[in-house]
Amino acid sequence: MALLELRNVSKSFAHAAGALRVLENISFTVEHGEFVAVVGPSGCGKSTMLRIINGLMQPTSGQVLYRGRQIDGINLDCAMVFQSFALMPWLTVKANIELGLEARGAAPAEREKRAGVYIDKVGLDGFEEAYPRELSGGMKQRVGLARALAVEPQLLLMDEPFSALDALTAITLREELLDIWQSADMPVHNIIIVTHIIEEAVELADRILVLASGPGRLVADLRVDLPRPRNRRKEAFNALTDKVFSLIEERA
Amino acid sequence: MAHSPINPIPDCQLTWVFGLLETLDDRGGRDDGYKIARDLNFKFGDLLKVMKTAEILGFVSTPDGDVVLEPLGKQVIESEINQRKLIVRERLKSLGLFAYLVRLLQAQEDRALTREVVLEHLAMLLPNDPPEKMFSTIVNWGRYAELFGYNKDEDRFYLDQD
Repeated sequence: MALLELRNVSKSFAHAAGALRVLENISFTVEHGEFVAVVGPSGCGKSTMLRIINGLMQPTSGQVLYRGRQIDGINLDCAMVFQSFALMPWLTVKANIELGLEARGAAPAEREKRAGVYIDKVGLDGFEEAYPRELSGGMKQRVGLARALAVEPQLLLMDEPFSALDALTAITLREELLDIWQSADMPVHNIIIVTHIIEEAVELADRILVLASGPGRLVADLRVDLPRPRNRRKEAFNALTDKVFSLIEERA
Repeated sequence: MAHSPINPIPDCQLTWVFGLLETLDDRGGRDDGYKIARDLNFKFGDLLKVMKTAEILGFVSTPDGDVVLEPLGKQVIESEINQRKLIVRERLKSLGLFAYLVRLLQAQEDRALTREVVLEHLAMLLPNDPPEKMFSTIVNWGRYAELFGYNKDEDRFYLDQD
């Protein structure tokens, strides 16, 4: 059974001039252990799709099945990482990471233990008592990642996680994410990342779903067979990047 | 043992250093600094700070405007996160400024100082560099390497000993 299946998912929002169609007839499945990237221009509804997968938003029509069952409300097997980091400025790094666990009803001792484990995994040891304003963007996003991992999700959803970071920071964090995803003792083996950076999708994912905008629809589902670690300066990497780019461009 | 000379450190994030090492590795271990800055859309002045930091740490050398990945730099990118932190820790301990602060903290009964006192030391040691900025870089590198901690609420700069 697939981990996740979207069946003819459409989403419209009420609008002065009638309904605004954001997603139209999106269907795909995600198998266990897959790292999937969703790429498309801004306004193609990719972030909306992530919210529907998470159960934060209901589709107007169609179904989202998780392990074969229709999602009803927020899917607690998912955790989300945001472009804006979404940290509480008045809380320390450790308290920010514990927050997700607190929201899920974990007891204080359990929260502390699990926060400690994931602080270590993402390399935040030493930063426990720092406040977000003392941190660089890269460190802030490591906190966002640790907070999401600490709830030990089956499926990690990432909404443009590296788009607010400079190039060198993004390079480092992408490498760290791959290390985490590939390490055997990490609970999360499924990731869906939404990005508008095509190279990022080609570098990270097993599969790339290409969305076109107006309304958002799935125009391609490509398997990435390049061996890891992937080198951006290799011909095969560039060929695939160009292919995705032309798929997006010809429908823009 | 003679102490290493105390030099200022660039205002640079370690995350940038690792990004530079990855970039160099993708480019066969050597490239022109200016070209890297241009390709990554990074300000050249900022990239110079990153190159300088990577050089201080022994991860790269910088002959004739090029950046060359050194064996220790290669080891850093092949290490997992916590080994990487250990390598940085050992390198920081060998830098004059960090070694001075370690000795200074060791001489305190509770192995801690206030920010104000550290700023005074920095101002004396390196009168041409703004001490506030240097303090925040020291705290960031020190936290990453688990060499120093800083508790803002208690205003306590301390030796991280576990």
